[in-house]
Amino acid sequence: MPKHCQNDIRPGASLGRRGLLAGAAALGLARPAIAQAQPLRIGMVTSLSGPFTALGESMRAGMQLLLAQSGQAIAGRRVEFLVEDDQARPEEGVRKARKLIGQDRVDLLCGVISSGVALALRDVVTEARMPTFLLGSANDLARKAASPFILRPTKTNWMLGDTAARWTYEKVSKSKVLTVGSDYAAGREYIGDFAEGYRRLGGGIGRQLWTPLGSADFGPLLTTIASERPEVVYGFFAGSDAVRFLRQWKEYRLAGRVPLVGTGAFFDQEDVLPAVGDAALGAVNTFHQSPTAPASAAFIEAYRATGKPLPGEFSTTGYVCGQVIKAALERSNGDLADWEKTRAGLFAAPVETAFGPMPFDPRNGQAILDIHVNEVKRGEDGRMVNTVLHTYRQVRDPGIPA
Amino acid sequence: MMGYAAIQVLNALSFSALLLLTGLGLSVVLSLMNFVNLAHGSFYLLGSYIAVHWLASGAPWWMAFPVAFLATALAGALLERFPLRAFYARPHLMQVLLTYGLSVIFADLMRWGFGAQILSPELPEMLQGVVFLFDMPFPLYRLFIIGAGFAMALALWLLFDRTMWGAVVRAAVSDRGIVETLGIDTRRLFAAVFMLSAGLGGLSGALGAGMLAAYPGLDEEVLILALITVVVGGLGSFGGTVLSALVVGFALTFSKVWFPEFANLAAFSAMIALLLARPNGLVAPPLRQL
Repeated sequence: MPKHCQNDIRPGASLGRRGLLAGAAALGLARPAIAQAQPLRIGMVTSLSGPFTALGESMRAGMQLLLAQSGQAIAGRRVEFLVEDDQARPEEGVRKARKLIGQDRVDLLCGVISSGVALALRDVVTEARMPTFLLGSANDLARKAASPFILRPTKTNWMLGDTAARWTYEKVSKSKVLTVGSDYAAGREYIGDFAEGYRRLGGGIGRQLWTPLGSADFGPLLTTIASERPEVVYGFFAGSDAVRFLRQWKEYRLAGRVPLVGTGAFFDQEDVLPAVGDAALGAVNTFHQSPTAPASAAFIEAYRATGKPLPGEFSTTGYVCGQVIKAALERSNGDLADWEKTRAGLFAAPVETAFGPMPFDPRNGQAILDIHVNEVKRGEDGRMVNTVLHTYRQVRDPGIPA
Repeated sequence: MMGYAAIQVLNALSFSALLLLTGLGLSVVLSLMNFVNLAHGSFYLLGSYIAVHWLASGAPWWMAFPVAFLATALAGALLERFPLRAFYARPHLMQVLLTYGLSVIFADLMRWGFGAQILSPELPEMLQGVVFLFDMPFPLYRLFIIGAGFAMALALWLLFDRTMWGAVVRAAVSDRGIVETLGIDTRRLFAAVFMLSAGLGGLSGALGAGMLAAYPGLDEEVLILALITVVVGGLGSFGGTVLSALVVGFALTFSKVWFPEFANLAAFSAMIALLLARPNGLVAPPLRQL
C-alpha cells in the first residue's frame, strides 16, 4: 500500500500512520486540473519504521513545515510531496527510490537517514540521472561515492569528528582520552576521525572501547571506564543506545567527574536530551545544529508553533533540505530540465538556511558548514539545551585527496 | 581490584534479574500451558510505557508496579478470550504466526498511542542513590531490580509448587479431561494463568524501564532476550529459567568486561555450545507422556 503523504501539516501529523492514511485517502480523490505550470513532485525516502522512526518523522515534519510556509508552491509550481518508508534497510530504500522515480515520476528526490541506504541509493539515482538531495552522513558520500546528480545539504561524519578533536585538544585535555562508541559504520567514522585528528594535533589516545549496536546494559562498560580513570571520555552513540549510556553514565556517578565529549547525535536535542534528564549536563558536543545558533531562530519558532518540542538534527535537516531545494528551483526559474545549470546556480552563491549561510563545494556537491561546539546547559525553563560555546566557521570536508 | 570485581558481579546479577523478570512471564505460559506467545514483548513494552507515564504523573511512585501488572493482566485477559483461547489446541507453528502477527499490530498501536520518541522514567529520589563497594559506586535502582527479580521468582515457585491452586494447574496441563471430571473449570484456570503471565510481562517492563528506557522496537529486543533465557533453561522447566537467567546474564556481562568488541559473539557462542552439549536446556523437564 503506497504511503503517500500529501502536504499534511496539522499539529499531530507526527501520529504517522494516521497522517499517512489520511494522505492516501486524499490521493484517491480526483484532483481538479489547475491551470498553471506542471506541479513539482518531490519524493522523500526516509525511515518511518525501524530504528530511526522518530528521526524520520522529524525529517518529514521539517520538510512539511517549509512547504507549508511556502504555500505548498516553489518557484510558481504547486508542490506534491510524496514520502516513502525505507525501514532503514538499503534494499528497501532502493525499491522505494525506484518506485518514486519510475512509477510516481518525481522531479527530484530527497531524504535518507541511514548511511547504508544513502550509499545504496547513490548508483540508483546516478543511473536514473535523478536530481537528489541526499542527507546521510557517511564520509564516502562526499568522497568516492560523490555524484554529479547528488547534492548534500548536511554534514559528513568527518566534519564533526575532526572538530571534536580540535576542541578537545585545545580546551579539554591533551592526553589520555578514552574513546567509546557503537560498533557500526557511523560509530567507526566518528571515533576514527576523532582519533586521527587528535593524534595529528599531538594528543594521546588511551583505551578504545567498542560495543555492539543496540546494547541493553552499559553497566559493565561504565565500570571498566571508571576503573581506567581517563582524563576525558569521547564517545558516539545514537538513539536508544545514547539514552541508556547517558542515564547509566549518571547512575554510575561518572557525570560531573569525568568530562564527556561527543558528536551531535549523541546529544540530539529532540531525540536524546528529553529522555535523559540532567544526565548529560555539562557534556560538550560538536554539531552543525543547535537550538541556540542565531541562524536557526526563525525555524525554531515556527517548528514549535506546530506543537513540536525544541528541534534536533533531523527536523532541522528536513527543513534546510527544503530551503536548498527551494533556492535551487528559484535560481533556475522553476525549471529542472537542465540540471547542470541548476547545480551551477546553486554553487554560485551560498544559500541562507537554518544551518547558517551554506555554500557548496563544487568538487563533490557537499555543503560547507559552520560547526558549533555545544555544551548541554540548563535552559531558563529547567530543560536541557545544547548551547553554543564556539563556532568553527565554514568547515569543508577534505573530499577525495588530490 | 576487589571493588571492580564486586561491581561487575553485581552488574551481572542485575542484568540476570531483568532476564529473569521477562523470562518468567514467558516461561509460565510456555511451560504450564505449552503455548508459544511471541506477543510477550508487547506486554513488557506496554508495562514500560505505563510506568513512565505513572512516574511522571506525581502519584505515589511504588503504585506504578502494581498498576502496570494489573493493566497488562487485563489486556492479557481480553486477548485470551479472543483470539488466543481458540489456539491452545493448535500446533505451535499456528500459535507462532498468530502471536507474531498480534505483536506487529500492538507495536503500531503503541507507536500511535505513545509516540515514537524514546521515553525514560523519572525514578523516585530514594532509588536514585548509589552504594559504594570498595570505593566503587553501584546504583541503588539496580539493587532494587535484583531484589524484585529474585523475590518474584520465589513467589512464583511457591505459587505453583506449594499451593493447591498450583497443583491443579499442573494437573490440568498433564490431563485436562481428568481435572474437568473433578468439577474444575479449566478454561478459567488457563485464563488466570495467561493473565498472570501478561501481568508479569507488564511488571517486568515497569521495573526494567529504568534500565532500558521505552521506545518502539524494544518489544522485539526484549522478546529475544526472554526466548534465549527460556530456551537455554530448558523448555517447560521453571528452575531452568532461573538458572539460565543467571548463566546468560553472567555470560553477557563478563563478555562485555573481557572483550567488549566481541561481546555478543562471545556470549552467544557460549550459549550455542551449551545447547549443543545439553539440547534440552540446562534443566530438562521430566517426560510426562504416557
